[in-house]
Amino acid sequence: MSAKILVVDDEPQIRRMMRATLSSNGYQVDEAKTGEEALEKLRSYQPDLVLLDLNMPGMGGIEACRAMREGSDVPIIILTVRNAEKEKVEALDAGADDYVSKPFGMQELMARIRAALRRIPGATEGAPHSFASDDLEIDFDGRRVRVNDKSVRLTPKEFDLLRHLVAHGGKPVPHRELLQAVWGPDYGDETDYLRVFINHLRKKIEPDPSRPKYVLTEPWVGYRFHIPEDS
Amino acid sequence: MPEVVQEDLCALRSKSPRDCRSNTVRVVRSGNQNDFVFKLRVQHSVPALSKRMHPHRTSASGLDGRLTRRLRWARLRYIEYGTVSRTLQAAIRLVSSVALVGAIIFVYYRVVPANSVTVALTLVLAILGVAARWGYAESIAASIAGMLGLDYFFLPPIGKLTISDPENWVALAAFLVTAVTASELSVRARHRAAETIARRQEVERLYALGQTLLLSGSVRSAARDIVNSIIRTFEMPGAVFFNQLTGEFFRSDVRGSISDEQLRRVAETGEPLIDAHAQIAIVPIRLGGQSSGSLGFVGCTLSEAALNALAYLVAIGIERAKTIEETNKAEAARQSEVLKATLLDALAHDLKTPLTSIKGAVTHLLAKPHDAEELELLTIANEEADRLNRLVVEVLEMARIDASKLHPDRAPHSIMDIIQATLKEQEESLKGRKIELHVPPALPAADVDFDFIQQVLKQLLDNATNYSLPGAPLTISAQAEGERIVVSVADEGKGIPVDEQARIFDKFYRGRAWREKVLGTGLGLSIAKGIVEAHGGKIWVTSAPGEGSVFSFAVPAFKGELVS
Repeated sequence: MSAKILVVDDEPQIRRMMRATLSSNGYQVDEAKTGEEALEKLRSYQPDLVLLDLNMPGMGGIEACRAMREGSDVPIIILTVRNAEKEKVEALDAGADDYVSKPFGMQELMARIRAALRRIPGATEGAPHSFASDDLEIDFDGRRVRVNDKSVRLTPKEFDLLRHLVAHGGKPVPHRELLQAVWGPDYGDETDYLRVFINHLRKKIEPDPSRPKYVLTEPWVGYRFHIPEDS
Repeated sequence: MPEVVQEDLCALRSKSPRDCRSNTVRVVRSGNQNDFVFKLRVQHSVPALSKRMHPHRTSASGLDGRLTRRLRWARLRYIEYGTVSRTLQAAIRLVSSVALVGAIIFVYYRVVPANSVTVALTLVLAILGVAARWGYAESIAASIAGMLGLDYFFLPPIGKLTISDPENWVALAAFLVTAVTASELSVRARHRAAETIARRQEVERLYALGQTLLLSGSVRSAARDIVNSIIRTFEMPGAVFFNQLTGEFFRSDVRGSISDEQLRRVAETGEPLIDAHAQIAIVPIRLGGQSSGSLGFVGCTLSEAALNALAYLVAIGIERAKTIEETNKAEAARQSEVLKATLLDALAHDLKTPLTSIKGAVTHLLAKPHDAEELELLTIANEEADRLNRLVVEVLEMARIDASKLHPDRAPHSIMDIIQATLKEQEESLKGRKIELHVPPALPAADVDFDFIQQVLKQLLDNATNYSLPGAPLTISAQAEGERIVVSVADEGKGIPVDEQARIFDKFYRGRAWREKVLGTGLGLSIAKGIVEAHGGKIWVTSAPGEGSVFSFAVPAFKGELVS
């Protein structure tokens, strides 16, 4: 069963090109012309991945991305003509998994799509199956997280990031290694991705995100998962 | 009396009698039609004329050199009007006050007989009235007449100007002293009242001027309004405003009595110039110690306090107009910036969208097996799509730099990190070249936008590879120089002729020898320059033909403490 991709773009020629190239690469494709239509298709078509244009009339890409994130953890790749750092962070902050600027080479896009669809296999050798402390429970096999006995929804990338940090049991993980483990071998320099995702993660699992006790920053190196003494 | 002067007198009487009151000048004409002779008797005004002409006889042609024809006539009119009215009126008033005293004495002597005390008190009352109504001279005349009358008709021996009883000497002296003192007090009160009225009038006029100024929209129209309304509300013969910021002079129709030089000097020194003889006053227009010009008055009758208030008011008015003008300009500039940014974004979108379809389609096809010919054509299409995209990006970037819309997101970054990231990105084009790195390990962090500086470095590397032989080595070095970090890229190419070195950072400039050989827009180096300058740094090249070129840029080092 091949993955289903929803292409959201207001430009008909781009939708045509994307449909042809993606189908040829073995994906199933559906299209949406606006942000509103994309939300509709997210329910009816149930895509495995969304390619989302930022610059659309009506509900813009950022807004659509945020709305999709409210009810779904589907991977979202932003495709945009804008290439400013500020916009990239804004898109990732709105819940996007990746960001590709137009025009792009098809090989690059395919690599990004594969990375977004890829899941780290559930139980790698030596990796923990679960983690529990006073206020945080993680079930790695079931991909479930509970904070203070309340279920918390993490996006696949956030979950994989958390798992990779926990798997290193308190040792710092360098930026590059984290990026390649979670996004794929083509990544490594996108430290801004990590910054945004770690922030999301802290907001979801830390009791006080501004003073994290689990996900700690190792200056100039990377991040590490701190296991509290009493757990 | 000259006929022309008579005519002008009539016109003047209806206009401004106030200004004529204090002048007493006699003008007569003798000799032929064009030869006026001035004989001046000046009481206490028109000092300009008195100084220059009194007591000499001056011909009209001689006068021309010193006064404009217009001004001369204006003054003549004042003078003439004053002559007739003042002397005549003063004589009438003197006679009337003495007559009043005579009437009172007549009534008490012939009609209602009364004792000397009643007469004396009635006379004092009348003299007080005269002093209050007319002035000191009239009341003194009345006092003396009263004293003589009292002595002659009511104090024994009656009918003689002698006094028999020494007590009556005291009474008469008391009468005179009382009358004179009371007159003096009354005159003083009258002067004070007149002064109060004058001050009130000044305040009212300042208020009217303030209102005019509040309605002026721009500095130019404010300056014009100031001059016009000063002449109108203060009834001055002329005024001139010097706007120091623009160097403009706004004059009413009296040219020449205040020179541009005088106005400029007052504006520069801030010292007011009040010349009572020339009847001109120039005050500086300053607000908060900053000079914005000066204001000159011709035929000025204002008090110094009023002049200062007026100058202050004008300063506020000009400042206000300036602020409004600047606000409007800033708003227009802001709107134009917004429009430009919107246009740029729309352009970026509209150019890049078709490029995205082309690039997507071509790269997809390129991934499939093709024969050599198809592969070659698809590669060309792909490269040209890239080139077109680069062009769009560069033009947009240049437009952003021109519109000062480039805002580097500065943070402490290691130059070594930026160099390494750039080298990794340029791996393909640098293949086969030896890259030498000279970066000291203890180099302080640079306070820069990582991506922007990477772009500058990439541009310099592109340049070095494009303009040197394939495989020739490149050297990248970085070092701290004071509070700056200097990064250089050196190649061993042909070098840049001296006459081209200055122009190499100009927009669209491309080296003569390479125009045909290297593809490009000629924008790369000017964009690099724009980026470095947006960081407060500078970029330069040193080169000698045959010895290669060294492109260097300096950016600020990070000054604060590094915190994670």
